[in-house]
Amino acid sequence: MSQKMEQQPIPLRERAHQIFASAKSVAGKAEAEIILVSRIDEYLRFGNNELAQSQYSTSRNLSVRVASEKKQGRVTTGTLDKASVERTVEKALSQARDSPEDPDFLPMPGPQKYRSVNRYSEKTVEAPAELKAGYIGSAIDLAKKNRLLASGVLGTSVEQVMMLNTSGLEASYRGSGGYFSLTMDADNGNQTGYALSTFGDIGELDPNKVSQTALERAQMNKNQADIAPGKFDVVVDPYAWSEMLLFFAVSASTGYSPDLGMRQYKEGRSYLSGRLGEKILGDSISIDDDVYHPSQAGPPFDGEGCQKSKVSLVENGVFRNVVSSRISQHRYGAAPTGHELPLPNPLGELPTNLVIRGKGATKTSEELVGELDKGLLITRFWYVRETEPRTKTVTGMTRDGTFLVENGEIKRPVKNLRFNQSLLELFNKVDALSEPVRNFSEFQQFRILQPGILARDFNFTSVSPF
Amino acid sequence: MTVSDHDSVISTKDLGEELAKISLDLAKRDNASYAELRLVNTRSEAISVVNENPASEEASTIGVGIRVLYKDLGWGFADTDELEHDSIRETTKKALALSRGASKLGIKVNRASEPVHVDKWATPVKKDPFRVPTETKYELLQDTTKRMKENDVVARRGQMTFDFIEKYFANSEGSKIFQTLSYAGVSAIVAAKGPTGVQRRSVQQNTGGGYELVDEMDLPRQAVEITKDVLALTHAPTINEGKSDIILSGDQVALQVHESCGHPIELDRVLGYEANFAGRSFLQPDQLGKLQYGSEHVNIVMDATLDHGNGLGTFGYDDEGVKAQRKYAVKNGMFVGYLMSRETAPRVGESRSNGCMRAEYYKLPIIRMTNVSLEPGDWDYDEMIEDTRDGYLMATNYGWSIDQKRYNFQFNTEKGYRIKNGTIGEMVRGPTYAGITPEFWNSCDAIANRKSWVLWGTPNCGKGQPGQTMITGHGASPSRFRNIRVFGAS
Repeated sequence: MSQKMEQQPIPLRERAHQIFASAKSVAGKAEAEIILVSRIDEYLRFGNNELAQSQYSTSRNLSVRVASEKKQGRVTTGTLDKASVERTVEKALSQARDSPEDPDFLPMPGPQKYRSVNRYSEKTVEAPAELKAGYIGSAIDLAKKNRLLASGVLGTSVEQVMMLNTSGLEASYRGSGGYFSLTMDADNGNQTGYALSTFGDIGELDPNKVSQTALERAQMNKNQADIAPGKFDVVVDPYAWSEMLLFFAVSASTGYSPDLGMRQYKEGRSYLSGRLGEKILGDSISIDDDVYHPSQAGPPFDGEGCQKSKVSLVENGVFRNVVSSRISQHRYGAAPTGHELPLPNPLGELPTNLVIRGKGATKTSEELVGELDKGLLITRFWYVRETEPRTKTVTGMTRDGTFLVENGEIKRPVKNLRFNQSLLELFNKVDALSEPVRNFSEFQQFRILQPGILARDFNFTSVSPF
Repeated sequence: MTVSDHDSVISTKDLGEELAKISLDLAKRDNASYAELRLVNTRSEAISVVNENPASEEASTIGVGIRVLYKDLGWGFADTDELEHDSIRETTKKALALSRGASKLGIKVNRASEPVHVDKWATPVKKDPFRVPTETKYELLQDTTKRMKENDVVARRGQMTFDFIEKYFANSEGSKIFQTLSYAGVSAIVAAKGPTGVQRRSVQQNTGGGYELVDEMDLPRQAVEITKDVLALTHAPTINEGKSDIILSGDQVALQVHESCGHPIELDRVLGYEANFAGRSFLQPDQLGKLQYGSEHVNIVMDATLDHGNGLGTFGYDDEGVKAQRKYAVKNGMFVGYLMSRETAPRVGESRSNGCMRAEYYKLPIIRMTNVSLEPGDWDYDEMIEDTRDGYLMATNYGWSIDQKRYNFQFNTEKGYRIKNGTIGEMVRGPTYAGITPEFWNSCDAIANRKSWVLWGTPNCGKGQPGQTMITGHGASPSRFRNIRVFGAS
């Protein structure tokens, strides 16, 4: 089914202005901001070679912030009729009145200029369910031919955002995207292979490549050999990271709050507080926050409507910058970079579009494997959690294909391993990288472009029975 | 008492009946073999203070989820937050179109029968949180974070959340169920920097009910205790790697139950429908009644009834209209039962689902934990400590990880103490334990009695694609496990 929003009776921009007019009249002398988000999602989910769970979802969400005398309140609603909007603004006014003064309160920003991004694909939005079901049918056929079970999801989404405030700010964004995630397995998951592809334009998706990758890995990954835990050189496939590298940007020690913002850095909440200028990663590693990267997604403005800047966080291994906001400008005199979350936000700034990249020429995953004398190829990490913040040590498992590599060739599959590994140490021992790709996981909703790596001394600590 | 003063202009129940008639009639005319509609009206509030900064957000959503089965071969689901009659017809047609498409790639669905229910149910609430002034909530949280302010403390946070949900369910078999569900969550977290790096201490509880949880938790008092703890942890030693007896606090046992029993007994993952993300399970149907999952002391129930307690997994009916039930997953250590749906129950020879399908209105219901709880044992907690010659007490989870079949796990906790000759001694930082699920539960030799048993809540269980977050309950009391691999987190 089409996910085209223009089919809606009133275009979102017009609707946002109607809502804003109502909000302003109820808010009176108070400052007011609205964020209106409209989404249409279509997911075809399959398991056991059956198309088991198909869903089509439409939603609108209106978030209203009002502010007066350094107090502010935010109320959201999914009901957009005039009476509901007015009631929502009244609630926000009441909440603001009953809240304590926010020591960081600033008047709302005025009109901004935005660098344009093109993230909307007609092809994705118009892609019929039959086309997607056909891709899935082909994957299931391939699995059946090879006596395997296919499971996964092919999802597409279109999102439109409008933001307005009483200082005259108006920001808008529309984008589309999707992902095809596929597992082929047998023998209750004792034989399994995985592949993933993300896309903005569904025309970029090569469903046969996804299917073939999952098939080839599943065919290789059976009768896994025993392996003793210990330190191994590794090649990590770029799509293996999907749950891991967000820990560069958040810490469990402060309740899964963001780390790389100016306020956290200055208050000592960040694991990197006091370490600007220090070399924390290997010479070849740089990390940017760059919403404008062609493979990135999302709007070019932050939670209060300010334009996002590209920020070099780590340059050739040296920790150079944190992201900032108007509040940090007011508090510390730092130049704002447009990384505020919707206000009121006590957690601090968040980099939303990390790009982790290497210096110089990149290699393909196959070339990285070819350079590995003896070690392991990891195709997927699973259930990664922080165990220690200062060194960014995380634990987790491998799954869906861990392979022993000798003299640049995959020799045999091995059983799944648990690791306890410092991310800072690991990214100090990277010998080569592949191009970063946009990863996705239901656990990690961050937009991070992540490269494959060839690295030394990855610390595996135990082995699963399968 | 139920929570009042909700926004609805028309009652959720009346609107649900009106919309269900339109949707279910249309589905029947279009030859759906089964159809159901849920109208869900939710009001939520979250208030927090981090260091000196306040933040609050109130949210309300209302919408309809429609699930249809075509020719018993394919499911389709569609949702909308536009509640006009035309939108409901359009949404029903979208669900029907998806189900017809899915039927071409589906297999025959045999659903367990369920009596027709025409009923209503409500979470007991003692103190309506939406009637407590916002100022009162902020005052308590500011008092909490103020009491955490000490040298070396780098982050202070207090939070409370409240949800009030009206849910109308109707299906093509004639069931019509209206429920009002209320939940509360309270937490405080403090982090400090010292010679051992950054340490964290926290308290958290989530239950069914209302503001009475805030009163019971007494965050300002607990803030002082956890701040004292966290400062001590910044100077505490770690522990050496080795094997040791361990006693886990009740909240840690609750998470252990969630991860190593609750997830592997979800029958959809056992049957392979979650293989691509959440994973599969080591608990296979041919092991029912045969696998000694744990020691004879281990009894784990799946219980959504109010008799079990007012938890995050307590309700009257699940999201496919199955009445709340109590069943054993593990009885005297033997693996005996799964969390099921109407579709999956017959696959393991069961004639009835035990009512575990749950989702927000805009998500397709899948099998989720209700209250999956370890029953209390017969040990007095103090006697359990006194009976332990050499070991560690470990309290409150910091990090958790387990493989996709739920065998190999590792949990690190916020704080621990050495136990020597029956006495609690020196504090240790980041105590961590790891193991293989059945070996671990078979090493359990003591479970504290009902005096120490608490129905804990997990407010953020992730599963499904696209991702779904669900609330689950887990009763547990402190328990002892023998000869477990332990080490320090750093």
